[in-house]
Amino acid sequence: MTGIGRALLRLFAVQGVWNYERMLGVGLGYAAEPLLEDLKIADPVRHSEAVVRSAEFFNCNPNLAGLALGATVRAEYDAEAGAQVVRLRSALCSPLGALGDQLFWAGLLPALVGAALAAVVLGASGWAIVAFLVAYNIVRIWTAVWALRTGLAAGMGVGRAIGGSWIPKAVPLVGHAAGLLVGFALPLVAMWYLRPFGLRGGVAVCLVVAAGVVAGRLFGARMTGSRFALVAVLVTLLFRLVAR
Amino acid sequence: MDPLVLAALLVWGTVVGLDLVSVAQSMIARPLVAGAVAGLLLGDPAAGFRVGVLLELFALDVLPIGAARYPDYGPATVAAAAVAAGSPWELSLGLAGTVGLLVSVVGGWSLQQLRRRNAEAVQRSAAALAAGESAAIRRLQYGGIARDALRSALLTAAGLAAAWVANRWLVLDRLTAVALTLVLVGAGIAAALGGALRSAGRSRRRRWLAAGLVLGFALAVLR
Repeated sequence: MTGIGRALLRLFAVQGVWNYERMLGVGLGYAAEPLLEDLKIADPVRHSEAVVRSAEFFNCNPNLAGLALGATVRAEYDAEAGAQVVRLRSALCSPLGALGDQLFWAGLLPALVGAALAAVVLGASGWAIVAFLVAYNIVRIWTAVWALRTGLAAGMGVGRAIGGSWIPKAVPLVGHAAGLLVGFALPLVAMWYLRPFGLRGGVAVCLVVAAGVVAGRLFGARMTGSRFALVAVLVTLLFRLVAR
Repeated sequence: MDPLVLAALLVWGTVVGLDLVSVAQSMIARPLVAGAVAGLLLGDPAAGFRVGVLLELFALDVLPIGAARYPDYGPATVAAAAVAAGSPWELSLGLAGTVGLLVSVVGGWSLQQLRRRNAEAVQRSAAALAAGESAAIRRLQYGGIARDALRSALLTAAGLAAAWVANRWLVLDRLTAVALTLVLVGAGIAAALGGALRSAGRSRRRRWLAAGLVLGFALAVLR
């Protein structure tokens, strides 16, 4: 099969036309195009059907989309029934979404951001940011290559391949690392900002933090961090206006 | 502001806006990165770091999952850095952070509009997609990326305009400026802590979070 390198590059823009109609579907179809080129010569009718299926509805974490791409393309080459390919694609949405979100958005990313924040406020400045970018991108590029290769090798058996892979084992580990590193960074960041303001500044910030955490508990997902901040800014400005 | 610096900030804001969802997701859209580079472009790297770290605290509260609506902090951080550059951070961080948060909310709204426009483009190409035309898929893909580039450029331009207005017209007295800085630092820490607690749930991760807080606090006190 040719076009693996081009498909891999296209996977990095898999969300290029993200929409409420097909979500990642069209982006996955775009990434599938180079992989399906050989099928065009071998079986033009099947190729045309495969192109239609490749751009249908799909959603998952973009970093693991290669697993679905590889598996469905393999299934097309293996001449699996079209309905089976569609079922495979649908079945992969939830597990690849949940695993990828836990691994990257709730695990690796906050862990590395926590480490970078701590390093910046401890004086590493620019190097901490370069290290953050290099570390994150090494992992995600390696994962993308692994995912596409694993999907292409496993085809319809991709579910077993995912279950037996490193991903389910890595999810709790990076989760623990994220908890530790974000927790480690927060007091350091607080001290970095508060040093010039002394004890009174520290007490004021502690009160705002407490109010923010309580507001988050009371109002749940509706009270995001940025909403609370904007409300707090408004209250502060009104208070200063009245106090003058 | 020097027109060359302005142009560089506009390009940087557009690139980080694209990086958030459409192309690469290499994490240059994180406020920490976007702020550091914007600070360098503005000739005040320290301001870029201060703003980047602050908005990064808010970004840690966000899980960009599926169809969720989330703020766009990349171009917002560029705008915030433009407010903070050249002033003592103790006085400018509050106003810069406020401008950044407002621009990030507009950015979140603009992402939803982009997704709707993309859906309309997909609907218009439904017949070609049903016929298995690869060219239609490519057209949709390039069109989506071009729309996001335009969105990011407009958002950055609006953010830089807001920064100019804030610097020129919003003159805060010293006490109000310091109060805003303290409020935003507190709100940022609350956001990051809230996000960490939510991600931890009732799992063992909560213990790791507690251990990290104790370690970080000990180091902060000892330094």
